[in-house]
Amino acid sequence: MADNNDWEPKIVAFCCNWCSYGGADTAGMGRFQQPASTRVIRVMCSGRIDPLHVYNAFLEGADAVLVTGCHLGDCHYVNGNEKTELKYQFLEEMVKQLGLEPERLHLNWISASEGERFANFINDVTAKVKEIGPSPLKPEGVS
Amino acid sequence: MVEVGDKLVGYATDDEVRKRGASGGLVTAVLAAALEKGMVESVVVLKHIDEYEAVPIITDDVEEVLASTGSMHSVPVNLAKYAVDRKVAMPGKPCDIKAVIEQSKRNKIDLDNTYLVGLNCGGTMPPVLTKQMLIEMYDIDPEDVVGEDIEKGKLIYRTKDGNEKAISIEELEEAGFGRRKNCQYCQLKIPTNSDLACGNWGVIGDLAGSATFCEVMNEKGKRLIENAVEAGRIEVEPASDKAIAIREKVNGVMVKMGETTQEKVFTQMPDEERLPYYREALADCIDCGGCKLACPVCSCGDDAKCTLFHNLGDNYKMSMFHLVRLLHLSDSCIGCGQCTDVCPVDIPITRIQMSFSIPAQTRLNYKPGMNADEKPPFFEVMIQ
Repeated sequence: MADNNDWEPKIVAFCCNWCSYGGADTAGMGRFQQPASTRVIRVMCSGRIDPLHVYNAFLEGADAVLVTGCHLGDCHYVNGNEKTELKYQFLEEMVKQLGLEPERLHLNWISASEGERFANFINDVTAKVKEIGPSPLKPEGVS
Repeated sequence: MVEVGDKLVGYATDDEVRKRGASGGLVTAVLAAALEKGMVESVVVLKHIDEYEAVPIITDDVEEVLASTGSMHSVPVNLAKYAVDRKVAMPGKPCDIKAVIEQSKRNKIDLDNTYLVGLNCGGTMPPVLTKQMLIEMYDIDPEDVVGEDIEKGKLIYRTKDGNEKAISIEELEEAGFGRRKNCQYCQLKIPTNSDLACGNWGVIGDLAGSATFCEVMNEKGKRLIENAVEAGRIEVEPASDKAIAIREKVNGVMVKMGETTQEKVFTQMPDEERLPYYREALADCIDCGGCKLACPVCSCGDDAKCTLFHNLGDNYKMSMFHLVRLLHLSDSCIGCGQCTDVCPVDIPITRIQMSFSIPAQTRLNYKPGMNADEKPPFFEVMIQ
């Protein structure tokens, strides 16, 4: 691995179809600059994101995982994001206990119009992850 | 008659049962009466094989219930899953009862059909280690043992030739023997979550050793006692204030011991040491799935999320199976220690699980297995 500054982290972002995926789209249309570190995975609702998906992302080599969805109360499926929040509480606690840095896992609510917010979020997380370096759960041979 | 909340001292009227039972045979008699009068279809009891082995049986034969064992400290089996889909009465340690209540929250056991007779439990011991302990610490041949007892913090073994030897539990535990690790930090010694909390703590005077102290915890417990009295199987009298105070005192001492041990065992490891520790411990896993099968809380069945996405070929740095289990049980682990007992490669799974569960349960202020009306926080998603 080269110098830490050249290293680009791999960030898996789970985006819900109705809000945060739209937010990512808006960020592109609004030409807000953001690093090419994210791999977006679109799900129909953030409630679909099982903790298992997050673990899988980490074990397959993600340096950080983002869970994003509609603002609370705006869910397309009534209360899917409330389920996400509940599951996330457990997940967060567990990641903390495991000894993974808490900076590697984030939950954020981003609506379809908040392109700038999405871009800023990605910028912030990338900068933080660059500081703390690659994930200790990364399998061998994955950069 | 008997009221909910009553604290009683009682014993079996049948002399044979009273003598064989660990303390008055009240539990055996109550179970037999419940079966006799048709309150339940069957009873779960332990069938004695030797001092270190007993098998759980489900029986509808009153004689077999009466012939069941007294308390056994070296048979750490969890009976919860024997109550699934049956109308039974069962005795149980606090962790058995906790597990039954957790299963009922998962709609596997109907509590209305299940009568739970709780037994005070200061801790259980692993059979193999116990035999080793008898040889190394007590200098007794394990085959010669005819009885065991815990009194005043000492573990006493009686042998065939009438001798007794007592060693303090603290000393045994320092040498790595004694109670199972999870029992050492367990903090529920009187099963207040059962229908009828029985035990020998607080039985004093002439009755010591030949009567049982029992507390009626709810309506079902009241029915159990009344039924047994009507059937003429037991005799009860109200416990004296002194007896109640002594029981409270014993309980207080045991719970305090548990709290101190828990603090000692679960001292927070530094952040950077935790991940390597968990990875190293879980790396020994041979994927037998025994911990999942033995877990008395787990109720997913064969096609569970933890096993479904688990593939040895993935060569992950940490076992996905354990990650999912650690998360799913973080709110509901009752700390019964079954997973550690069955693990063929001796991974301290209970200890690892509890290091996730204790902070989560403390934060949520949720105690699993205590109140059947309290849903696990993980299920608490409102559907409007």
